Amino acid sequence: MQSVEFLRVENIHKRFGGVIALNGVSFEVNKGEIVGLVGENGSGKSTMIKILSGVHEPDKGNIYIEGRLYKRLTPIESIKEGIHVIYQDFSLFPNLTVAENIALPVFIHEGRKFVDWREAYKVAEETLYRINPNIHLNAEVGTLSASERQMVAIAAALFHGARFIIMDEPTTALTRREVEALFQIIRQLKGQGVSVLFVSHKLQEVKEIADRVIIFRDGRKVLDQVVGEVDIRTMEIHMTGREISTSEKDGRSIQKLGEASAESFLLRVRSLTLLPHFQDISFDLSYGEVLGITGLVGAGQRELVLTLFGVLKPQGGQIFIEGRKVQLRDVQDALRVGMGYLPEDRVNEGIFVGQSVANNVAVTVITRLSRLGIIKSSKVQSLGEKYIRELNIKTPSARSPIETLSGGNQQRVVIAKWIAYGPKILILNGPTVGIDVASKAEIHRLIRRLASENKLGIILISDDIPEVLSVCDRVLLMKKGRVVAEYEHGEISEEALYLKMIEEVSGV
Amino acid sequence: MKSTRTFQMSQEFVVAILLVSICAIVGIFSPSFISFATLFEMIRGSLAFAIMGLGVLPVLIAGEVDLSFCSVAAFSAFATHHILLRLGYQGGIGVYLILSGLIGSLSGLIMGVIATRFKLPVFPVSLGFWMFWYGINLFVISPVINFTLPQGLVGYYSRYIVTVRDPVIGISGLHEATIYLLVLAFLMWMFLKYTMTGRGLYAVGGNREVALRIGYDVGRIIRIALTLNGAFAGIAGVIQGSFYRYFSPTLFRGQELSVLTAVVIGGASLKGGKGSVLGTILGVFFIQVVTRSLVYLGVKGEYQQFVLGLMLIMFFVASSVKGKPRTKLITKSGSGAQSGR
Repeated sequence: MQSVEFLRVENIHKRFGGVIALNGVSFEVNKGEIVGLVGENGSGKSTMIKILSGVHEPDKGNIYIEGRLYKRLTPIESIKEGIHVIYQDFSLFPNLTVAENIALPVFIHEGRKFVDWREAYKVAEETLYRINPNIHLNAEVGTLSASERQMVAIAAALFHGARFIIMDEPTTALTRREVEALFQIIRQLKGQGVSVLFVSHKLQEVKEIADRVIIFRDGRKVLDQVVGEVDIRTMEIHMTGREISTSEKDGRSIQKLGEASAESFLLRVRSLTLLPHFQDISFDLSYGEVLGITGLVGAGQRELVLTLFGVLKPQGGQIFIEGRKVQLRDVQDALRVGMGYLPEDRVNEGIFVGQSVANNVAVTVITRLSRLGIIKSSKVQSLGEKYIRELNIKTPSARSPIETLSGGNQQRVVIAKWIAYGPKILILNGPTVGIDVASKAEIHRLIRRLASENKLGIILISDDIPEVLSVCDRVLLMKKGRVVAEYEHGEISEEALYLKMIEEVSGV
Repeated sequence: MKSTRTFQMSQEFVVAILLVSICAIVGIFSPSFISFATLFEMIRGSLAFAIMGLGVLPVLIAGEVDLSFCSVAAFSAFATHHILLRLGYQGGIGVYLILSGLIGSLSGLIMGVIATRFKLPVFPVSLGFWMFWYGINLFVISPVINFTLPQGLVGYYSRYIVTVRDPVIGISGLHEATIYLLVLAFLMWMFLKYTMTGRGLYAVGGNREVALRIGYDVGRIIRIALTLNGAFAGIAGVIQGSFYRYFSPTLFRGQELSVLTAVVIGGASLKGGKGSVLGTILGVFFIQVVTRSLVYLGVKGEYQQFVLGLMLIMFFVASSVKGKPRTKLITKSGSGAQSGR
């Protein structure tokens, strides 16, 4: 690898009103280099992307592209210099074919009036061949998987003459195997001299793919090092600026498996099967226990908990709650036997946008707070205030609309809503996705408190390995719809679990 | 793997199959239905509507909905007729088509400029113009139907390329204006498939934000769509007036929705991004065939709308079932967000 510089930014400053987004940031990216850019929300990552793509103008600082100085880039200059951003939405037309999606942007920039379809297919084929020849050129993009759409977006950028591709959280919607395929492509691009800025919060992936990692915190660059020289823990510390104390584990008393009698298990699941998602799943959950279920995207954990919450119907197997066999035909059944479910898509499924914090807390128990169908707003209000206090929710008042709260506080409202309902079992599906690291730690503490004080049995679904290892008493690892391993708290390290998680899949 | 082409073919194919089977069923009960004369009559009855449908197609593809095209057709044809009468024009339909097409395109352009200048969706603006053009006709031009025809238009109703004699219908034939439809359909097909603006319509309808991002002038594309829509409406108005042998200030009033229905049956989506020339023509023909079949089957006038309505509901329910995924899961944040946009 020759280290010829492609891009260098020097002392970039950018403020929005009173907020300093970037405060004197400098770095460079060489040709054919893969640089991981890491930082929490608000660290300045997205502002940097927007400055490089010409959306924002820096207040101060220089941008050099192959030595050419720019005080600011316009979007057109940025594209002319070969800088392309693959956004999370991929910027594609779902109703047009792969070939057209690849060819159209260039045709427009060339100021064409007519479409030469033969040429469009030819150039699209040539470009796509550079990364993934298995996508059909005349497939409608809307019918493709997220991973395939991403490849089309990359091909479109390449055909447009991309020499520096910025990927904004590119692995969010991908399964592990698709991530492997993406990494393969990124390495190919590297071989062709294309530079990649891999913007992600998944430190493990950054460590895996990047040559060098740059970490932003509060608008400054706090780390810029060759990936082989830093470990994930160091990256995390630089990202957050402090060591996140893992949750308090003292004073817990967990019934050891096998010692307790059948009746003392809160939940027993036996041979639960729903093909093709999962099969032959058996596990137990005690009062006050936090059980983690982890695995790659698509290993079946999502469908498993949806089955426990009555959304999906199992094909076989039994579910026992407090020793009694239960049939969960729908969500109403699940609620009746004491299940609560915190969905992974908080905004669309967890909260009622436009409603106050108090209303959001009260929604599960609204019938208890009303008489003759009329809701007593004073009771709703005091319930809201009670949980704001108890869960330490940061909000101006119980009347504030929920969307004005931060992600972490919204999530606490969703949890409060379930505690108010009083379930025996609470299923948490990705409770800290998209929540910044500090609030994450508080949610972890809350989960532990619910288990130890309220004696809830908690099932935590997450692919965030440090999270499941620090919060859970026990962790089940799922692969391709089966539970393949079980670990007690402290039994396995993060690295080891990560390797376990990906080992088999990459071997297939 | 499905492609744009196969999907649209399938929608067009479904409509074509339905057309054939409806004709076959009606033919069993009423054999006289299956004849060239019936076919030619149905073609003549569909011509103006098919042309209007082709006009509104690019607007729908761009993800906009226009309801004013019928009133644009009425205004353009009525104004053209009165202008040419005053000038003492006695020639054929050619000048009528050109002038009315120009007036129509200008009307469409005005609406397009207003909608894009003030960043409004086309739909509410078109509601205003729907009333406006009919209002101009009745209030400014003339409130009464005009039966005076120039020499060149007398007998235009029965200007056939091929004539047939039918025991039930009598003398009928394939009308000359079918050629106009074919030419316009061909031009529209070329425009949609081979021009960057035509592809831009699909792009804007598929994802407007991205179309802007890659450098399409979305406002210009919508103005072009509405101008074409107006031109086609103007042409359709003159053709229908010539068939009726009179020019009415309230031509086509109340028929906007059946044209839109026809285009949607043909595979266009009110959400934009989809639609084809062939589908549009088949959709118009479908409505025409169903309506005529009900007459042949002896369904009383007052029941026809009821039956047609039921058939449409069934058609749309059936096509939505066809397109649904097998298992329904709560949408996942990642993939759901993309498809839901």
